[in-house]
Amino acid sequence: MNFTVFRPALDWQSRAVLGRHLRVHLRNWHTAALPPVFEPLVLLLAFGVGLGRQINDLKWAGASVDYLSYLAPGILGYTAFMTAFFQSLFSAYMRMHFQKSWEGQLTTQIRLEHVIWGELLWAATLATFYALIVCLVLMGFGIADALTLHWAWLPIAIPLLFLAALAFSAVGLLFTALLPSIDHMGLPFFLVILPVGFSSSTYFPLPEVPWLKAIVQFNPLHQLTEGLRYLLLAGQPTSHLAAAAGLSALILLILLPIDLRLLRKRVFGDA
Amino acid sequence: MTGVQPEPSVLTAVEAPPLLEVRGLKKSLGNKQVVDGIDLSCHAGEVIGLLGPNGAGKTTSLRMCYGFLRPDAGSIRIAGHDLVTDGDKARRALGVCTQDDTFDSDFTVRGNLEQTARYYRPAIEGLSARIDALLKQFGLSEFANQKPGTLSGGYKRRLMIARAVVHRPKVVFLDEPTTGLDPHARMGVWELVSQLRTDGMAVVLTTHYMDEAERLSDRLILLQAGKVRASGTTRELLGDVVGEHVVVLPSASPGAARVEAWLRVRGIPPATVLADWHFALDAAGLALFVSAFPELRYEVRPPTLDDLFLALSHEEPS
Repeated sequence: MNFTVFRPALDWQSRAVLGRHLRVHLRNWHTAALPPVFEPLVLLLAFGVGLGRQINDLKWAGASVDYLSYLAPGILGYTAFMTAFFQSLFSAYMRMHFQKSWEGQLTTQIRLEHVIWGELLWAATLATFYALIVCLVLMGFGIADALTLHWAWLPIAIPLLFLAALAFSAVGLLFTALLPSIDHMGLPFFLVILPVGFSSSTYFPLPEVPWLKAIVQFNPLHQLTEGLRYLLLAGQPTSHLAAAAGLSALILLILLPIDLRLLRKRVFGDA
Repeated sequence: MTGVQPEPSVLTAVEAPPLLEVRGLKKSLGNKQVVDGIDLSCHAGEVIGLLGPNGAGKTTSLRMCYGFLRPDAGSIRIAGHDLVTDGDKARRALGVCTQDDTFDSDFTVRGNLEQTARYYRPAIEGLSARIDALLKQFGLSEFANQKPGTLSGGYKRRLMIARAVVHRPKVVFLDEPTTGLDPHARMGVWELVSQLRTDGMAVVLTTHYMDEAERLSDRLILLQAGKVRASGTTRELLGDVVGEHVVVLPSASPGAARVEAWLRVRGIPPATVLADWHFALDAAGLALFVSAFPELRYEVRPPTLDDLFLALSHEEPS
């Protein structure tokens, strides 16, 4: 295993790229903040409150929970997943292919590994930040007496959300490297977001099908949402959290060298 | 101590070690040897023009020089720093203006210069004053708070060059800096390139405009099939590769068949441009031609860099 691809994460150049993304984001904070605030709000209102009224309480972990409570931690994990994946896929692709800001950075002291780490760190930072905004929305539901969560466990969840988001963004960058054109942007949504999202226990408990239960053990989003659910609903840290962290680390170990190699080929035409 | 060593400050540009020193550069892409043992050097205050037909290896050489591609063999030293083993310092000393506009469209003109400066360490001293000076020097002051997308092509190139020199590099690469510009904008860029030379930077320029190469470059390096085919001043290059005189003869002239046979015997392939043949001859050859075809009407002119390209297109790649 080649660990040298991880070293540039700590270099000043990676922070410089991260700083660039942060600077652009802060400039547009008023519009950029709308999706992370309103998306979970709409989902919680439409599904949690709206759909939740139409269905009975769910059976989860041997207990009966209302749908809004079941959904809330799932949305937290799903926000980290979607934000990280979208940033490293669509936004990074735009910067690489159309804006050519990668090429502009690469003519300086920034090297490709720094550009990649800058993208990964930014995607994970933004995903974690958006997840925290979701937390604020959820706290609002708590104030309205619609939701009770164990917020004292949140400090455990934050680094895990960041790690998982790093892994999801490494998957996104793989597609950034592979997609021949923007017309193929639907492919990762079909190949990753739909299957990973719907087998993640975000919106509903998975059926008791042995083969499905075996497969989803390897879905980091499933482990993350279940881990967050136990943590925030029951106040119990479980092995799901360790599994989510382990799977995320494994994804990073496997995908980062591949991302770097493929993007080197893509950006420079050289392997 | 034997003899007196000159102070560094009194070394002339040629005596001082070159700021760019490339030795034995090789690169193959796929199965093709694109660059095959190129040597280059450029001193402070010197502009060298890298010329060659498409596929000669100009862009690949340049991309290796600014670290986009890894050479298969050879070494690149920028201001004394090896690009592979001392990459950070080498990159700190070089500035690059790519052929495409690669400024950051999320920032204003001033923001672009500020953001580019953040990609260098050690940090640039007196950055704000440096940016003000660059905006003034490059005629960008009035557009400082505009997004680069609103600028005309000429001003976009000015911004690209300003970005390339914001950190006061020692070596600057300009890859076709005036492609697509109108004549007025081109001349504006020429002025800027000339200023870079005056500022003591070593400038490497590629261009397809022969007049530009001739006017801006102190020395030309001609690449062909991944090798240096010839180098020197424009006159030296034309004399070595093309010849002293170029004869322009309408291909429909009554004696054209005899001229073609005459040229074939001497191994001189004429270049056909529209309805005219262009072929180069040295002084002795011209005298022979004049005496062989006293009845013909033709034009004799000095060779240009365009003739050089035409001559190369007739040569078999070695």
